[in-house]
Amino acid sequence: MITVWTHHLKMMFFNMLLRNIVRHSVFPVAMQKGTKKDLFLTTPQKPFPCRTLILSPTPKKQFSSNPTEKLDLDGWKNVMKSGMQEEVSETSESEKDSTLAATRELVEMWRLAGVFVPENISEEELKTLMECSTKSSKKKYLKFLACKEKLKKASKAKQEKRREAKMERLEKAKENGTSEMKNTFLLKFWSRSFDKVYNWRTAQAMIFGQPLVFDMAYENYMSRREMENTVNQLMETEGWNRRAVDPFHLHYCNLKVDSPYHKEFVKRYGEAWDNLLVTVTEQSHTDVFPRDKLIYLTADSPNVMKTFEHDKIYIVGSMVDRSIQTGLSLAHAKRLKLTTQRLPLERYLQWEMGAKNLTIDQMIRILLTLKDTGDWMEALKFVPKRKYKAFSDESVYSKYKTNTQSRTKIFEFNGSQERVKNPFASSRNSLQRQKKLVGN
Amino acid sequence: MAFFYVSSFLGLQTLGKYHLFWPAPRFQQLFAIIFRLHNREHVKSFITTSQSAVPVDPNTTHMLSTKTRSERRDGEKREGMARGDTSSPHPFSLFSAGAAKRRSKNQEEPFMISKRNGIQPPEKPLSVEEWEELREEFKAVSKFEYVMLEQMIKYNSSIDVAKSLLSMVATRKGDISYNLLVKYLALCIKQEQLAEVFDVFDIIKLRFKTLEPGAYSLLIKGLSGSDRWREALLLLEEIKKVMTPSKANYGDCIKGALNNQEINLAYELYHEMLAKELIPNLDTLQAFFDTGKCVKDDQLKSELLGILLYLRENQIYPGETLMQSIKLWFESIPGEKWKGYITTITNSGKCPVCNQHLETIHLNEEEYNILKAKIIKDVIQGTDVFRKTTPQELEEFRNFVENHPPYDIVIDGLNVAKVSNRRSESQTLLDVVSHLAQKNLRLLVLGRKHMLTGSPNWKRPIVAATQKKADFFFAENVSEDDPFLLYATLHSGNHCKFLTRDLLRDHKACLPDSLTRHLFFKWQRGHQMVLSHYWPGKRIKFQPLPTYDTVVQTTGDTWHIPYDEQLVERYSYEVPTKWLCLQRK
Repeated sequence: MITVWTHHLKMMFFNMLLRNIVRHSVFPVAMQKGTKKDLFLTTPQKPFPCRTLILSPTPKKQFSSNPTEKLDLDGWKNVMKSGMQEEVSETSESEKDSTLAATRELVEMWRLAGVFVPENISEEELKTLMECSTKSSKKKYLKFLACKEKLKKASKAKQEKRREAKMERLEKAKENGTSEMKNTFLLKFWSRSFDKVYNWRTAQAMIFGQPLVFDMAYENYMSRREMENTVNQLMETEGWNRRAVDPFHLHYCNLKVDSPYHKEFVKRYGEAWDNLLVTVTEQSHTDVFPRDKLIYLTADSPNVMKTFEHDKIYIVGSMVDRSIQTGLSLAHAKRLKLTTQRLPLERYLQWEMGAKNLTIDQMIRILLTLKDTGDWMEALKFVPKRKYKAFSDESVYSKYKTNTQSRTKIFEFNGSQERVKNPFASSRNSLQRQKKLVGN
Repeated sequence: MAFFYVSSFLGLQTLGKYHLFWPAPRFQQLFAIIFRLHNREHVKSFITTSQSAVPVDPNTTHMLSTKTRSERRDGEKREGMARGDTSSPHPFSLFSAGAAKRRSKNQEEPFMISKRNGIQPPEKPLSVEEWEELREEFKAVSKFEYVMLEQMIKYNSSIDVAKSLLSMVATRKGDISYNLLVKYLALCIKQEQLAEVFDVFDIIKLRFKTLEPGAYSLLIKGLSGSDRWREALLLLEEIKKVMTPSKANYGDCIKGALNNQEINLAYELYHEMLAKELIPNLDTLQAFFDTGKCVKDDQLKSELLGILLYLRENQIYPGETLMQSIKLWFESIPGEKWKGYITTITNSGKCPVCNQHLETIHLNEEEYNILKAKIIKDVIQGTDVFRKTTPQELEEFRNFVENHPPYDIVIDGLNVAKVSNRRSESQTLLDVVSHLAQKNLRLLVLGRKHMLTGSPNWKRPIVAATQKKADFFFAENVSEDDPFLLYATLHSGNHCKFLTRDLLRDHKACLPDSLTRHLFFKWQRGHQMVLSHYWPGKRIKFQPLPTYDTVVQTTGDTWHIPYDEQLVERYSYEVPTKWLCLQRK
């Protein structure tokens, strides 16, 4: 028993000894390799004056089969140097403009550096990019293009998928039920028929319906992109209106022919622009409608809308202002001496954050609902959820109103009746009153 | 309940520590929280609003004061009051450096938690296999190599660790991406590993025909501190092909040139960047002065004085380190015996070291007229008169001002009225107006028409009493009153002051060019009165108006240079309070 035990110990000792010997014999070799490589690497600044590089096969082998004892830290440099020069601009000859080519190269390099840039960029977009004066504006524009490209791609992929699914379904139907049609007692209601109904309704509204004016006079206050966004929103607006139970008669007033606005409309709608059931006019709304019927809806108005009036003509300023331009639409209304109103957002909503201006499509959905139901709660559901916390209780509101009479905002709708009725006519008697007070 | 005690204790402690005027509404807010807690409602929302309040804007404090008014009625126990800060030469001026920071002291930065913080770079270089293991561990992290290298930059790991990571990438992919190389370059530059920078530069040059500005900037920074600094200039030319180089790019090149005594080249670059309307970084300017200390050259001297004048013209204030360099340079000029002292200037505008009066803050005739014309054109009328007023109202106001003798003080009635939290608004205004009327000053108060409707805040008899002591003009409720304030003040002449605690930044922003904006700011500092003490019925005091202009200035034998202290955070609408006084013996 004891002998076996000692024998075992002996074996272990031998094993360890053997291992040590092996290790010692390997180590110097590794060291040598390391120094050799170091020698190779201390010189690299000089031996590369020319671009073509004759590479000895050693370093590549070296780092791939390197023992872990001594780490090869600089092997990657040789790998990099052995690579070919990146072909960045394949079209440097075709693009005559050298700065344009330089910009294209810049985009390519930014892509390599991990900046979010589009895969394809047209010459027109490149020119816009060149006009961006700062680095950050260039990057922002590229990001915008990249996002756009990505969205487009995603929707295309989705479309493709849907089409494939449909094909599959059809094929399956062919296999299973041969060519027998689906049997139903309902008539198929074609989307064409839907369109017909909608158009009839809108046409009817254009004769008998309540007008709703979009004031297109803000073209000069918007950037190109904002203007495009506005057109986008107006297209959506028209869609909502067309599908409503009782549509408005839409008027696009102050829309000058061949202005960028008009051109954008024509570009986006194509041929449909001419068939659109909307009244487009170059005239101002004050020329088209009687002044006392008009009410300008603007977030900056001191007067709060109480009920939706079916005999009035509401005006919505069609403008997208990404950097909020306070009082712009109010200024327009003041100039034309029109009545202004704002939505009673504070009254029905516990506002959380964000400006109280709304997009045009939200605006039409609110107005359409108001017109149909007269229910503010229902209508104001179209205010974006993120902006408010909850609907406020009607009873709480009345308490709140009496509590805070002193608030700066409230006085404007607590003010004297005379002013609410006629807010901007700097009336004689107010002047007189002031003089009298000064005289005091 | 525990929170109640803690917060009330904190509130009182803060009151004891900073007797400042501005944060008063914030104390009210603390009280408000306490009272809310009693009611056990909306506690959370209240705290969030207090945290999200913007620190600098007086309108925000203003807004808060209106927000908590209803609670204040019953809960208010202390009056907001102001006392001078002893460390500042003028007791708490609105425009002295650090005032805004003091006002916002209670604000706390939200704590940011990043997902990527979990990854820590290894301490020693790893082998390829070990790296692969680590990669497996962090499978969830996409772009493991990039994140790891970024973390290395953050933790300032040894470059050997980064090299081992690159080796792993090279083994795996047979190539290293541009992005990764640039990140590695950033790490090398951070640790000033010049040999590595050269290596990476050579590799990048070999592999890529052109680079993007990020890599160029890093390379310029790396190369300009070495013997190969001239190559940095070539890279600068490369950037120019696609965009304007940044001021840091120019700064690095200039430093490279100065280190190698190429002073003329440095000045060429300096003037080139000024021509591109880039404002040089302060450390670039410091490099010039540091070089000037060792090199005695008349042309260099005039160039350095030119830099000081540039600071003057653009209202740039040097930091503490640049100030020290300027001081040392002056003291090193042979044969001129300059001596520099650090000082603060008294309110009279006299330098306590050399007893010299500083330049006056008042505009001269010509500047005044330019400012007046621009204010009327760009601030009051702007692009559309209807946005701030109406043509009729403007005309009416013009007639009003024409038909009255020049005023001494124009008061923003609604702003002044909201100064106190306890008194009703009309009473506050009456107090202030009667205090000023006692001094036989001609006063104009601007208000809005709603003040006449006899609301609880604006009681008719009090408004009528105020109207006996001063002229009033009531604007429409939808008009802005600040433009009228500016117009009336400017129209009354250079002696006329205005009283408001609004910083008027939105009106300053309407002015088109920086010259007029500087003029406006100078005029504003010299003419804006701000209420500093208001104890209802007892004491009303205003912040003293500075009589001198805070700008780099010289008389030939002396230089006075205002500078920013290292620890004071100065906002853009404030001016420094510390000065360097240099005089020739």
